[in-house]
Amino acid sequence: MSPIVRVQGLTRRFGRRWALRGIDLEVERGTVVALLGANGTGKTTLLKVFSTLLRPTAGRVEVLGSVLPRDQDYVRAKTALMTPTGHTYEELTGLENLRFATHMSGPPLSDSSLHEILMGVRLENAANTRVRAYSTGMRKRLELARMQLRTPELVLLDEPFVSLDEEGIQLVQSKISDWRSEGTSVIIASHRIATATAGADRIVRLERGRVASEETA
Amino acid sequence: MNSLMRQTKAIFWKDIITETRTRQGFSAMVSFAALVLFLFSFAVGPDTDLLTQLAGGLLWVTIVFTGTLSLGRAYQSEELAGGVQLLRLYPGDARAIYLGKLAGNLVILTTLELVLFPATAIIFHVDLLPHVTSLITVAALGTIGFSVIGTFFATLTVHLRARELLLPLLLFPALVPVVLGSVGATDAFLSGDPLGRAAGWLQLLIAYDVILFVVCVWIFPVVLEE
Amino acid sequence: MKTQRTIGFLAIASVAVASFIGLFVVPADEYQGEIQRLLYIHVPTAWLAMLSFLVVFLMSLLYLVQRKLKWDVLAVSAVEIGVLSTALTLIVGSLYARPTWGIWWTWDPRLTTTALLLIIYIGYLIVRSMTEDPEQRARWAAVIGVIGFIQVPIVYLSVFWWRSLHQPPSSPRSMAAGFGLVLLLNLIAYTIAFTYLVMRRYKLGQAELALELAGPEEEK
Repeated sequence: MSPIVRVQGLTRRFGRRWALRGIDLEVERGTVVALLGANGTGKTTLLKVFSTLLRPTAGRVEVLGSVLPRDQDYVRAKTALMTPTGHTYEELTGLENLRFATHMSGPPLSDSSLHEILMGVRLENAANTRVRAYSTGMRKRLELARMQLRTPELVLLDEPFVSLDEEGIQLVQSKISDWRSEGTSVIIASHRIATATAGADRIVRLERGRVASEETA
Repeated sequence: MNSLMRQTKAIFWKDIITETRTRQGFSAMVSFAALVLFLFSFAVGPDTDLLTQLAGGLLWVTIVFTGTLSLGRAYQSEELAGGVQLLRLYPGDARAIYLGKLAGNLVILTTLELVLFPATAIIFHVDLLPHVTSLITVAALGTIGFSVIGTFFATLTVHLRARELLLPLLLFPALVPVVLGSVGATDAFLSGDPLGRAAGWLQLLIAYDVILFVVCVWIFPVVLEE
Repeated sequence: MKTQRTIGFLAIASVAVASFIGLFVVPADEYQGEIQRLLYIHVPTAWLAMLSFLVVFLMSLLYLVQRKLKWDVLAVSAVEIGVLSTALTLIVGSLYARPTWGIWWTWDPRLTTTALLLIIYIGYLIVRSMTEDPEQRARWAAVIGVIGFIQVPIVYLSVFWWRSLHQPPSSPRSMAAGFGLVLLLNLIAYTIAFTYLVMRRYKLGQAELALELAGPEEEK
């Protein structure tokens, strides 16, 4: 089977600044990869390219065997990205946020399925509370719930542990291992080395927009 | 139901819920509109006949000013949720974002006009009731024109520095036909249309609405690219 | 390079000759006097304004279809010359209007539309300056280049109708003998100058872009 992500000579420029200066990378299906590096080394840019948000300046990018940016829609349907701040609306309740996301994603799930998913992240009591009243941990759990609306084949997590307490970190980590056991590939971008590498199959270090080292965990 | 319609409805529904839960914003908008109407009256002077004559123009300029402020508001909740471009992560046509936002802006602006038209009638001594159906037609066409081009430029400027200045700079020249058409038709109807000019203005509005809508829908995906 | 120099020489020579004829060879207008000679500048600059914004429109469309930055460079070259021509048109037009009709400004549809065009394309240039990313800049510019131009005929028509409610639009009176011919000469001369200026600005724009993409602050 082809790798879930295959990248050759990927560069991305923002005006004069090069965020990615030639990335070569392959990620096997069903593995968890920790993408490490200081701030500004290109982790977020790389995830945005994989998730189709950014077009590459040059280079070949294949995600799920499809070439970007040509087969965007296919990749979008099978990929889930979690940004550091999340994609939830303050004035909507937890349930309404999920309802919005499921209507945007495809044939919508019923409210009872949405309740079940909320129960899975222990938000059943906050289903009808507006997100503006949520704590950081609750927001992260709602994000995890949102990503479960579809069954993605590739999960991209951008700094998933930032500003979480121990309990929150454990929840995210257990979710990652769930994905792994289901055969879903996960790429975690983080500067928290210990947390991110626990449970990772491979560790990729970025430096100044290039892959500095790759090792098996 | 195809995915474009489903996504358009989802975005529209989300924006309207957000709007109803931040009602302070809408109240502030209505108060702002009322203040603009008052300021115009102060600038023109207390000549009631003159104000009655100018009512159509003053009303539409107030709608344009207030509507421009309201366009920016539609993107505030989006910014708090990580930016409008995250909506592109859902598979499907990016035009759903434009259509959903457009529908939301139409409803908000219409609600504003439900307050503004009667208010204008009262403070400028204009009798709207005999012309109510024709005026609704004008209002609908003008509001569509404003929202079609306004939603488009609001999305274009959302990530720009100094967007609160750039949005009117790009928007107002584009609104000239909308303002002239709406004011022309409103004035014509209010005076009983003795010269038969209203139909021409309505045709102009329809033509502009259709052309701009087609072009904006066609070109919109480019605006959200990164 | 050689063609460019030839066109440059042709531009200077033709503008000089056309201006000379306009200023000294044709007789002044019988009624308007010397002031009428301003039309030999006013009309060609107005023509250049329209020509350049048409070029911008076409280049913007080409960019949107092909995504090649050279079309964007060509578009911005035309916009800058277009903005300059539009400003000149308005200034010279005002200077002509004052002694002729006794006013600096009138709500003539052509005049009003020209003033609005100036604002639209100043907006175009400001939006461009808001990002360092050449592709982002080109996308935003192309969008405004297309929408801005499409508005023009409708804006013109709406102002025309609006004004016709108040007074009939001014129609030009009969002009001095030879006016049409000299005007045509000036139009041709200015168009050659336009071509030359766009070519030079395009070269400059490409050099700027190359510098921007190479980036002095860091190598790839």
